[in-house]
Amino acid sequence: MSIPAMPVFVDVKLREVQESGRLEYRSRSLPTWCPGCGYFSIVEGVTHACNEMGISRDQSVVVSGIGCASRFPFFVNLYGFHTLHGRVLPVATGIKTANDRLTVIGIGGDGDGFAIGGGHISHAAKRNVDITYLLFDNGIYGLTKGQTSPLSAVGLRTTTTPFENPERPLNPLMMLLSYGASWVGQAYAGHPDHLREMITQAVAHRGFSYLHILSPCVTFDKTSKTYVNLGLQVRKLPENHDPSNLMAAMHQAQDMDHPALGLYYQQFRPTLGDTFEQVSAKAGGHNT
Amino acid sequence: MNATDIQIAICGSAGDGTIAAGDILRNAVAAAGYRVICFDVYPPEIRGFGKCISRLRITTEQSYSLKRQSDVLVSLDDSHAIPHAGEVRDNGAVIFESQSIAQCGEGEHMSGHVLPGQIPYGFPLRELAQKATGGARSRNLVVLGYIAGLLGLAPTSFQRIIEKKFAKQGPAVVSRNQAGFQAGFDAGAGTFKLDDVAFGPFEKPASAGKVIMLSGNAAVVQGCLDAELDTFFGYPITPATTIMERLASELPKRGRRLLQTECEISAIAATIGAGFAGSRTATATSGPGLALMAEMLGLATITETPCVVFVSQRGGPSTGMPTKTEQSDLNAALYGSPGDAQRIVIAPTNVEGCYRCAGKAFEMAERYQTPVIVLLDLYLSNRYETVTLSESGSPFVLDANKPLRRLEPGEAYQRYALTPDGISPRAVPGDANCMHVITGLEHNELGRPNDSAEMHTAMSRKRHDKLLGALAHPDFTVTKRFGDTGKVKVGILAWGSTFGECLEAMFMAQAEGIRCAAMKVVMLSPFPEKAISAFMDDCDAVLVPEVNYEGQFAQLVQGVLARPVVRLSRVPSSPMPVELILGEIRRLSGVNA
Ligand SMILES: Cc1ncc(C[n+]2csc(CCOP(=O)(O)OP(=O)(O)O)c2C)c(N)n1
Ligand code: SF4
Repeated sequence: MSIPAMPVFVDVKLREVQESGRLEYRSRSLPTWCPGCGYFSIVEGVTHACNEMGISRDQSVVVSGIGCASRFPFFVNLYGFHTLHGRVLPVATGIKTANDRLTVIGIGGDGDGFAIGGGHISHAAKRNVDITYLLFDNGIYGLTKGQTSPLSAVGLRTTTTPFENPERPLNPLMMLLSYGASWVGQAYAGHPDHLREMITQAVAHRGFSYLHILSPCVTFDKTSKTYVNLGLQVRKLPENHDPSNLMAAMHQAQDMDHPALGLYYQQFRPTLGDTFEQVSAKAGGHNT
Repeated sequence: MNATDIQIAICGSAGDGTIAAGDILRNAVAAAGYRVICFDVYPPEIRGFGKCISRLRITTEQSYSLKRQSDVLVSLDDSHAIPHAGEVRDNGAVIFESQSIAQCGEGEHMSGHVLPGQIPYGFPLRELAQKATGGARSRNLVVLGYIAGLLGLAPTSFQRIIEKKFAKQGPAVVSRNQAGFQAGFDAGAGTFKLDDVAFGPFEKPASAGKVIMLSGNAAVVQGCLDAELDTFFGYPITPATTIMERLASELPKRGRRLLQTECEISAIAATIGAGFAGSRTATATSGPGLALMAEMLGLATITETPCVVFVSQRGGPSTGMPTKTEQSDLNAALYGSPGDAQRIVIAPTNVEGCYRCAGKAFEMAERYQTPVIVLLDLYLSNRYETVTLSESGSPFVLDANKPLRRLEPGEAYQRYALTPDGISPRAVPGDANCMHVITGLEHNELGRPNDSAEMHTAMSRKRHDKLLGALAHPDFTVTKRFGDTGKVKVGILAWGSTFGECLEAMFMAQAEGIRCAAMKVVMLSPFPEKAISAFMDDCDAVLVPEVNYEGQFAQLVQGVLARPVVRLSRVPSSPMPVELILGEIRRLSGVNA
């Protein structure tokens, strides 16, 4: 994939971005996503958040698995590691173990995260690895052209469920809350301003932050997680929701028909980096 | 008295303290300055009454393997030891409980199984233990004291080691065991001598460095520490686990980090993540774990990320035989991954080699920006040897991880720049203005996905060619020849733990007047074609002994060089017997005579 000549409209768009001061976080590679894909607003959200927080580009790494979502690192101008299907979190854990000063953002699709990589999420959450995990949920496999995913709705027709998906989808927010993730939130690609705000908060959190991002796949899902449907379904968390109340967060997470957007839960506890230091102190060592 | 060369086998049931007795004995004789090789065999079950054997060969000069025949067999449980009576040589001693079956409640008695020519030595173990310690539990220490006494070894270093070993269990246990040892020693002292072997008078050799007793896995750990390992990720699996366990207590003392991950995939993924972030890093596993790591190893190859994987092979396929040794993961180590998965694979042949290979693996991984697999096996991981370590600091290159080249101002950074030696400038997150994205997709020099035929060819060539540097690097032992120089009747080509047996067999064949030589192949990938080919030119016949069924290394040699070799491959679930190799050498030299 060589760098294509920029079509005019992109140039205009890029100039806009440049004026906002965010261009330094965007790479010169054009996203390879289908026009209208929800993922575009996630790139926007991340560059905005980086800009707002003054994130150092040399000190940041974006790690992804495999899938449409996982092409993300090529579209931002940060250190990046496009790894293997499902392995975002252990690679990110290794990076953080090696260098705690780096800002690490993990990225993956719903198949990447909850099917092949499902076994890793609980452990990253348990260890409270200080990374941000952005999960792009389009309820389908995009890159492999439209198979069912563990988050597909019952009844969805896909190439591998031509007689309708018989299985109930997982409830990712319930899972993350019960795994002990120290920051759990939900956003929607169709609400870019809120999305941007949530990404900023997630990156700012010290510990494992999980942001579930609902995002339509305009090519392979014309019936389920579409802009029209999601636009009607999503709601805000109640004004009085208390993010320190785990039970209240679980209560909200139960309602999958009307996904609530916002910060479900936040807790401050030692990160993996802190635990390494505690272990070293017990061993009578000193950090090098 | 001639040079000492004595092998003692202690056999008992799990729970008899067999392995503990072997451990104390090998440490004590090592402290006295002798060379020791020791290999314990125990059952896969944690509890129960399975058979345990600790075999120690004690010599004044360096030896290379265990002998098939022991000089002394010690029985702590006759029902287990009786089948091993035949392993004692003529004029060797068999030591056993002299109480009658009725008294000790066992099914069969060793006294009826000692073969003609062997020296039976019944000994009231229980009674002495009872008298000295008030119970029969310390029988293993009593018999140890007895051996020390009859062989004329000084008791002081034993008592010191016993104290250290049992300190955690409290002073009562220490003194009980010390009393048991002393009772045995007093009973044994001067009562008995094997007429053709004995210890001393022996002067501790003035050695070039510090002589210590290490298992293969402990030597790997020592190599990692001396090479200043930063981070380690692992998932428990026999026989590799002890590497992680030892590092878990050593790394934090140095402010370094170890994480027990949720599986082997995450262990290697985190290792590669850490390698990408500039850390000197490793993981350790066995065959089943290596299989899970295959996809990730390909990622390390294509992203050119340094990482080290210690693989200790056991019996396979699948879960196979977790507590039995085998050399059958060679193919998995060489090829396990999608695509042309170029990587470095090295195999130490003894415990000292484990130490050196561990340290050098990091240097290779970082210099050539590639995964390095260090291939051990259970026989190497778990066997103990006396090892000489240099006393003057780390013998390893510690700065191979530095970014290879700084950018000139205004210069664009190309992670995969095509250079003459195939090694590209490496930057890591944190380095200013070198931002790049690495990917498991084929890519161009910038690291951007690119699947053109030209780019895939250029990058495949780069990944292949850069590793050839390791074959020519003066710091790396790639192959080494032993035995007769020039033309020989039989040449032995060997890798991994079996090499020691090959060397012993070669010495014996030489003593019989057969001209022979042995080549130890340390680097298995890239394949040292030239060195092996030159060696084969000198040999009328080439023998390849290895502990696997298919003859994996023999197939590799034949495949690459298209030259015939004689395979000696078998899966005895134990090390290859020296006599078997010697038999083949005799046969081959006769055929060609
Ligand atoms: C080990 C392995 N298995 C399967 C694949 C094929 N594969 C690539 S992406 C993908 C699913 C992607 O779906 P998702 O994670 O939901 O991401 P999306 O493309 O929808 O963003 C699969 C199955 C692979 N690359 N590697
Ligand atoms: S296939 Fe779907 S998820 Fe992939 S880029 Fe196109 S719209 Fe987005």
